[in-house]
Amino acid sequence: MASMARSTIALPTRSRWSMTCAAVARTLLISALLGVPLVAAQPAAPAPTPGGIGNSDSDTRSYDKRNFSGLWARSPELYGEAPCPECREPVGWPGYGFFGDIPARTEEGQRRMDLNKPARGLELGSAEANARTDLDSGLRRAILPAFGNDPEMRCEPLGLARLITFAGPGAAMELIQQQDRILQTFEWTWDFREIWMDGRRSPNVEDYLPRFNGYSVARWEGDTLVVTSVGFDDRQWIDQHGYPLSSEAVLEERWDRPSPNRLRVQLTLTDPLLYTRPWQASTKVWSLIPKESMAIAGWSGILEDRCVPSDESMFNQVRDRAAGLGEE
Amino acid sequence: MNAVQHQGTLTMTILRYRLLWLLAVLAVPASAHHGSSISYDTTKQWTTWARVVQFNYKNPHPTMTFEREVQGGVVEPWVSELLTNPSMLARQGWTKRKSEDALAPGTRVKLTLATSRAGGFSGIVMGIQGEDGAPIVGGGRPAQVPDLDGVPGGLQPEGDTMLPGQPVEGGAP
Repeated sequence: MASMARSTIALPTRSRWSMTCAAVARTLLISALLGVPLVAAQPAAPAPTPGGIGNSDSDTRSYDKRNFSGLWARSPELYGEAPCPECREPVGWPGYGFFGDIPARTEEGQRRMDLNKPARGLELGSAEANARTDLDSGLRRAILPAFGNDPEMRCEPLGLARLITFAGPGAAMELIQQQDRILQTFEWTWDFREIWMDGRRSPNVEDYLPRFNGYSVARWEGDTLVVTSVGFDDRQWIDQHGYPLSSEAVLEERWDRPSPNRLRVQLTLTDPLLYTRPWQASTKVWSLIPKESMAIAGWSGILEDRCVPSDESMFNQVRDRAAGLGEE
Repeated sequence: MNAVQHQGTLTMTILRYRLLWLLAVLAVPASAHHGSSISYDTTKQWTTWARVVQFNYKNPHPTMTFEREVQGGVVEPWVSELLTNPSMLARQGWTKRKSEDALAPGTRVKLTLATSRAGGFSGIVMGIQGEDGAPIVGGGRPAQVPDLDGVPGGLQPEGDTMLPGQPVEGGAP
């Protein structure tokens, strides 16, 4: 065996080339004799499926893979654009969220998670929640919003991971790309963050104030923009299901533009204080919305869809009545 | 195909896509809403005539108080929230002024409702129709649900199903 390996390694380049040519010729001959088209051996592109699988974009125009500027949404139908099945969340998961490969919590992580009382997901104690043991327990514990403590329902900042993964109907975002940074603005809560591409390093968290959207720096790996964010305010939830996040968390985002009208991100959260291993989210995909399609009365762009505390307070009075609280 | 025909086809395509989107949204109220679907039994909807008292076009979801007159001339004062939200309404053409005009105080409307799981005069509005039958402020829903106009309390929750997350004596939910 050892001598065979040595002879293979020692084979002259010309001989390897000859063998390769012979192998190709054999393949072509067999293919021709059997009438099997060679392309059939190629793996077929996956059908566009919720959860970021496949690509329904049929646009074949050339485009700049490193230019992410534009208006992006995960419900393009709302704007009169063609549906994007892969933009939707994975089938079988409740609502929208970080999802993916949810890790076990550390003791501290579980303690913090238990303090969070979400009103979204499968209803705690319901038949469906009890049956869906394939889902993490964090997705099966929703209670009445009046008895929950979701920071969103007090109009507190959502935080970066939740802003990115928010896929409520119609919520859109805009990316404005410059040489040294990208500005990312989000319709729901009218929030934004900066992604710096000027070569700066991530700050030492201890030296800075924590921020809900953290501090983001980025670099290109081929046509993938790799964004690293640190320095988070730990009052935020990762998503609407109440998964906690610590100030030591590091969020890595790998953004790419696989076709002219699609933007995709792979998210990985590393937070060893709260989670036993890095957490990779389900793939999130957006569809490019032409400026003229995202317009109301001729005014294009994302909406100023703020969460106003006084409005929220008024809404919560109705919410509380639905829970049997407040005046009858 | 001339320009007019092309424009018509384009408009139909946009409407078709928006209808698909609307159906998708309505299919997942439990997840899409502001956590409210757990508060209401949306599997048991019903319709009734009502008169608008006050409509608030605000985030995260519009709210509306209304009255419905039931048997014996009793007037029930209800509070409600709408399934949709202002940004969605605006994108469908239901801007603030247009919506407030359509639901001005005193306006008589046909509502499709789901009662809160706590019971009482509290519900979520799934659809609204004007007196002419046209859907308003977000559109109506097919009325394949019981019409309980004039029935006291409308459709109230049955049984002793505990509200999810309701605090119990001696402990947290």
